[in-house]
Amino acid sequence: MNKRQKTLKKLAGQKVLFFMIIPCMIYTFIFSYYPLSGWIMAFQNYKPAKGYSGSTFVGMDQFMFLFKDVEFWRSVRNTLAMSLLNLVFSFVFAIVFALLLNEIKSLGLKRITQTVSYLPHFLSWIIVCSLVSNMLSTNDGMINNFLMGIGLIDKPVLWLGEQKYFWWVTTFSNVWKETGWNSIIYIAAISGIDQALYEAAELDGASRFQKMWHVTLPGIKSTIVVLLIMNLGWVLNASFEVPYILGSGLLQDVSQTIDIFVLKYGMSIGNYSLATAAGIFKSVISLALVFGTNAIANKLGESSLM
Amino acid sequence: MKMKKLCAILMACGMVLSLAACGGSGKDTQPTQGAAQNEAEAEDTKEADDSKDQQAAEGAEDAAGEEAGESAGDAQAAGASDENIYGGLVPMEDADDPITYTFFVRDPGTVPADNNPVIQKITELTGVTIKFEFLVGDLDQKLGVMIAGGDYPDLIFAGDAGTKLRDAGAFIPLEEEIPKYPNLNAMYGDVLKYLTQADGHVYDMEIYGTFQNDVTEVAPPFECGIGFYIQKAVLEEAGYPEIKTLDDYFKIIEEYKEKYPEIDGVKTTGFEILADGWRNWALLNPVQNLLGAGNDGAMFVDQNTFESSFFQNGDDAHAFYLKLNEEYQKGIIEAETFTQNYDQYISKITTGAVLGFYDQNWNFQSAQDLLKNDGKYERTYVAVPIANPGVQDAYLDKSNGIPSGTNGVGISINCENPERLLRFFDWLLQREVQDYLQWGEEGTDWVRSADGGKELTPERRAIWYDTAKKRDETGFTLWNYCPKWQGLYTSDGMPCGTGESPDEFLASQSDYDKGFLNGYGIKYPAELMSDPVLRAPYYPVWALPLEDGSPAAVANTKITDVTMKFYPRLILAKDEAEYESIWADFLKEFNAIDLDALKTEIDRQIAEKMAK
Repeated sequence: MNKRQKTLKKLAGQKVLFFMIIPCMIYTFIFSYYPLSGWIMAFQNYKPAKGYSGSTFVGMDQFMFLFKDVEFWRSVRNTLAMSLLNLVFSFVFAIVFALLLNEIKSLGLKRITQTVSYLPHFLSWIIVCSLVSNMLSTNDGMINNFLMGIGLIDKPVLWLGEQKYFWWVTTFSNVWKETGWNSIIYIAAISGIDQALYEAAELDGASRFQKMWHVTLPGIKSTIVVLLIMNLGWVLNASFEVPYILGSGLLQDVSQTIDIFVLKYGMSIGNYSLATAAGIFKSVISLALVFGTNAIANKLGESSLM
Repeated sequence: MKMKKLCAILMACGMVLSLAACGGSGKDTQPTQGAAQNEAEAEDTKEADDSKDQQAAEGAEDAAGEEAGESAGDAQAAGASDENIYGGLVPMEDADDPITYTFFVRDPGTVPADNNPVIQKITELTGVTIKFEFLVGDLDQKLGVMIAGGDYPDLIFAGDAGTKLRDAGAFIPLEEEIPKYPNLNAMYGDVLKYLTQADGHVYDMEIYGTFQNDVTEVAPPFECGIGFYIQKAVLEEAGYPEIKTLDDYFKIIEEYKEKYPEIDGVKTTGFEILADGWRNWALLNPVQNLLGAGNDGAMFVDQNTFESSFFQNGDDAHAFYLKLNEEYQKGIIEAETFTQNYDQYISKITTGAVLGFYDQNWNFQSAQDLLKNDGKYERTYVAVPIANPGVQDAYLDKSNGIPSGTNGVGISINCENPERLLRFFDWLLQREVQDYLQWGEEGTDWVRSADGGKELTPERRAIWYDTAKKRDETGFTLWNYCPKWQGLYTSDGMPCGTGESPDEFLASQSDYDKGFLNGYGIKYPAELMSDPVLRAPYYPVWALPLEDGSPAAVANTKITDVTMKFYPRLILAKDEAEYESIWADFLKEFNAIDLDALKTEIDRQIAEKMAK
């Protein structure tokens, strides 16, 4: 009794805060929860002309179509593989880049490097992909010319025609484009580390590398964990442009992602129900990934998201 | 002080520029004024106004007559005998009452300039402004969004993707409307049954092709629109041989490549195969042509029984891709051809160092235009009649006069005044207006040739073959996407448009091309091919609509997927053993597709169209 009264009193005291949050709640409801009612079409044979009420219910047929198709599972595999490679490499590169940048003493040089490094983020994928495909070309492409020049290979490699290279091509295109941008947040976190810690480490006789390892990295650990959890939620969404633009029939087995599959078999032939079913599937997996990572982070005693 | 000076200079520049702009637009409008004067033949404006009033009265009477129940047959007779119910380039009765219609077109493109003199003139004479919106991005997505929001423009040309819109009830039925308008009726009256959809209504006014009617007939082709293309220089070098089979074709390419490993400093490429997204026919389609079919699509149709079958997994496909594999081993085909996108393909052709490819004319037109602009006429291409030994090639279509039923303009349910729009289309279909849109004015834009035909003046030709100028200075865009006459006018055999005029075709040929045609002793490049084949009413398969999300549609997508995946691998196989093992894998995946679903649906639709 007493406890409840206490809670109520606390709530009353925060009345103003609740009022302030109402617009956000409404916004979230309208744009994030209300559209979920459209999920109903995943269980229908939805026809735009007939609407939700007029379309026939088909139960789990759309899901069965997906789950029975070898191509779909291949797409799931490709999506996961490319996204995880992307995730790991963009994390490692961004963190290492931020650490190294932090070690540069000349402020001017540091700023220039930082600015130059995040400029590619503002290029569209279309442009980046044509740069990549020109660089990897067998006809006077830079990479092949270089490798042949130093004698590593004796005839041009068809980088964009062989399945084994494709995931790495997408990964490194992504690293090239996003490293600078991703590192911004770490650089901000690093600048928030108490300088006294560095001084103390110096007194203890730590080398530069030891300071990076024992002071800087632990200092940004919580940032890394939070970003990792948040990014995992996007793992299944983050692979459309590059595989779509650089992919070709030759590479289909490794380049077709869930999104491309949905575009072909859902949107292009007007099967919106299938597209929705695949969307639900993706959401479920993404949620599982986020909660899973969150739980692991909790277990390891790290600050978690929820 | 300095600031002030700078301001003054800037303002001065601005004034000069705006003056220049005025001057420019003034010049642009001049021809229009000239046109008005010519057509009106010294009629002064007052008289024109009078006649307009008169016309308005007549129009009202006409409308009343129709309402009173004038039979469709009468209207048709009137249309056939008197094409000029509106009197040529004479204003419509409600030209003072401006109205704007929005028009979505499924093609990527650019809207004609606001000061396009021809379109301005049409607006002045009719009061109608057509606001074009061209496709940006993905068509299916665009239509999906339109349907979801019910947000339709007044007019939509969606091509074969229009099925979605019809299913969504986006169009108004036209079967009762068309017979009320003499010119529209003259165009579509005889083919209405082919335009009728499964629900018994007509929603589209087909805009491509010559249909069965009394006003026009099919024009003979000058150039072949599809096939195995080869650089003219290669044929010239080989002494203008007759090329009938794949072996002949690749043999002269090999010889030429050996002799000229570089062309203008660029490494020679023997044969290109474009396989980029939906532009995949170079990889998927040639086998049906080798079998003696036209450009049917994913199925081969027996022209006697009209039963469809798959050519993708047959012996002919096996042999064709094996031949390409052999050419890959010889270095005629490069592996990179399968990784390049459309832009890279076009820029490669533009170098003039590509000897051959399978394609459709419009797809590489831009590259060919650039080659012509550079004066490299010997590097432009011509199609040769390649088929399996003993099979007659059938690349050239002789139109059967039957509309596809899917390539048309529809009026949406959001259109507020469809009656006036149809009347506008009817007005546009007058021969004078059609001529004005495509040919321009006699004397300044086109002249009679020595034998009485029509050809463009050199100035007009420079405009007509320049995409941007053609769009901004002629009525091409308006003509192209509205119902239009195509072919030859039956009354006097005159060409409807520039593309159908033999005199214009011959006059626009370069000296090199004349020499080339002379070498073969032919008048037009299309004469290299066998005679045009009269197509059956169902033709082509690719225009038959598949229901959204149906098993047939899924099978169709799967076929594209599997063939796109395996054919490049077959061509790039290391040796014959590897080729055979990939072929076995291919058959396994291909035959696992629900092929019957597609075949049954296509057979059903063919039978239905053949029965009409």
